[in-house]
Amino acid sequence: MSVEFSKEKLAEVAEIVKRYPEGRHKSALLPVLHLAQQEFGGWLDVPVMDYVASVLNIEPIEVYEVASFYSMYNLSPVGKYMFEVCQTGPCMINGSDDIIAYIKQKLNIGVGETTADGMFTLKTVECLGACGYAPMMQLGKHYREHLTKEKVDAIIEECRAKAN
Amino acid sequence: MSRKLLLEKAHVENIRLYDVYRREGGYRSVEKAFKMAPADIVEEVKKSGLRGRGGAGFPTGLKWSFIAKPEGVPRHLVVNADESEPGTFKDRYLMEFIPHILIEGMIVSSFALGSNVSYIYIRGEYHWIVDILERAIAEAKQNGFLGKNILGSGFDCEIYVHRGAGAYICGEETALIESLEGKRGNPRIKPPFPAVKGAWERPTVVNNVETIAAVVPIINDGGEEYAKIGVGKSTGTKLMSACGNLNKPGVYEIDMTISVEEFIYSDEYCGGIPNGRKLKACIPGGSSVPILPANLLLTTAKGDKRLMNYESLSDGGFATGSMMGSGGFIVLDDNQCVVKHTYTLARFYRHESCGQCSPCREGTSWMEKILLNIENGKGKLSDIDLLWDIQRKIEGNTICPLGDAAAWPVAAAIRHFRDEFEWHVKNPVDCLTGNYGLAHYADPIHVPVVA
Repeated sequence: MSVEFSKEKLAEVAEIVKRYPEGRHKSALLPVLHLAQQEFGGWLDVPVMDYVASVLNIEPIEVYEVASFYSMYNLSPVGKYMFEVCQTGPCMINGSDDIIAYIKQKLNIGVGETTADGMFTLKTVECLGACGYAPMMQLGKHYREHLTKEKVDAIIEECRAKAN
Repeated sequence: MSRKLLLEKAHVENIRLYDVYRREGGYRSVEKAFKMAPADIVEEVKKSGLRGRGGAGFPTGLKWSFIAKPEGVPRHLVVNADESEPGTFKDRYLMEFIPHILIEGMIVSSFALGSNVSYIYIRGEYHWIVDILERAIAEAKQNGFLGKNILGSGFDCEIYVHRGAGAYICGEETALIESLEGKRGNPRIKPPFPAVKGAWERPTVVNNVETIAAVVPIINDGGEEYAKIGVGKSTGTKLMSACGNLNKPGVYEIDMTISVEEFIYSDEYCGGIPNGRKLKACIPGGSSVPILPANLLLTTAKGDKRLMNYESLSDGGFATGSMMGSGGFIVLDDNQCVVKHTYTLARFYRHESCGQCSPCREGTSWMEKILLNIENGKGKLSDIDLLWDIQRKIEGNTICPLGDAAAWPVAAAIRHFRDEFEWHVKNPVDCLTGNYGLAHYADPIHVPVVA
């Protein structure tokens, strides 16, 4: 995969940069990293971060230090579908431990691991602000809430169907 | 039934759309505000008694009045939508269901503060809400409420959404500003305060989503009318997000005159505790505020009914009270383990510490490890005192309040539930499968009779 944004994405980057005061283009780093992660395989490899630095005309270290600070930037490859299951207090009260254990068993992977076919990654996360609808996970752009084992089964099937 | 100011129209069909929101009376406050002087808007907000709804409860009008106005330097309003305090999901609800009230409040507030470019800093995980907000912003702009010379007032304003990327610390206003500037979310040393040197070294006001939305009814009805709702210094309405062991968890708008008991048990609100279980404990204002056992939650140490407002929830200080905080109301029934719950919170704060200050970076990590040991039956009695000692060394010794936020839950758990910690240590096998239960936590508080 060549590490370069398409013309459309470069235009999007230019739009993002314009939101901030002139000369403060570094402010666009978080949104542009989101864009890069989405465009280049779901994670931020070093060449990708170097490319983002060149696009924003900042030093590569300025990108590395930000990418390594925020939990949503993946610094190693992840599966096509990432199950980010919340495990903080309110979710724990409502059975997140059981949900995590069930996903582990069902996909035969541990936390932080990816299935051999590259389809699923299981990650535990801290509070995502869905405490009243616990237990929950983030899957892509959206939340899946009030999780049960049956719902987990259905979500896995849904992902497999989408991938085929 | 409580009066609703923010969520009154949240369930009108298609209220997310500009046309519907406008038909329901939306954007009136902008029209009214443009007939006022910016200083008079600040004055109305002061009169309303509105306090910051993010957690600190600082008077909003006063915060606004601090903004520096150096000649030729742009100023900014930044809305804090980084809602990340465990137990808190009220801003999400507001933005998801009635996004225009935030945009409306932002236009009025931007005018009052003189911000021509304002930002919404939203937590990265609320990805789908970014689309909802950007659509609302585009609609407001199409209808002349954003852009150049809004409604012929001569005031220009743009609003942009800036999406974070997963960091609780960015809810702290100076960390949020660092993040907006494209950096790690390391809080800044204050002073200078953001009102003097904030984003890009420009005067900046950072306010919570709910705070800015509340500006709409304040301008529509007047600050004095707003101040008539509620009690004492807890004016207006407050969004509470209730979770844990409740029949009806969710987001409720309350007028801060109801009792904690009514909030938990009445059908209008949380509808009681499921499965016939009993109330054991509650964290009433987001995970960082002190946990209280049932008896101290429902009644103050003086024997008064505890109410859902700033003053009553904090009555008794940390010895016997808690805080309103962000309104994240977490309920634990008698089947819950306070040690385990506290451990998950300690893990949360360790995960979210930015690492800048040693007491927080090292202390959160040690508290997590010790709590996990106790939870797993590997603790010693001296560990409880060690935990107490560590939390004391964190509190007040860090640049930002994350240190305090990490220390308080551990301190309160030991203060009120020490016997449960000791039970874990003394019953290393039973604690793996059993539970200390309700114990005496719901017993009436002993109030000495005064002769």
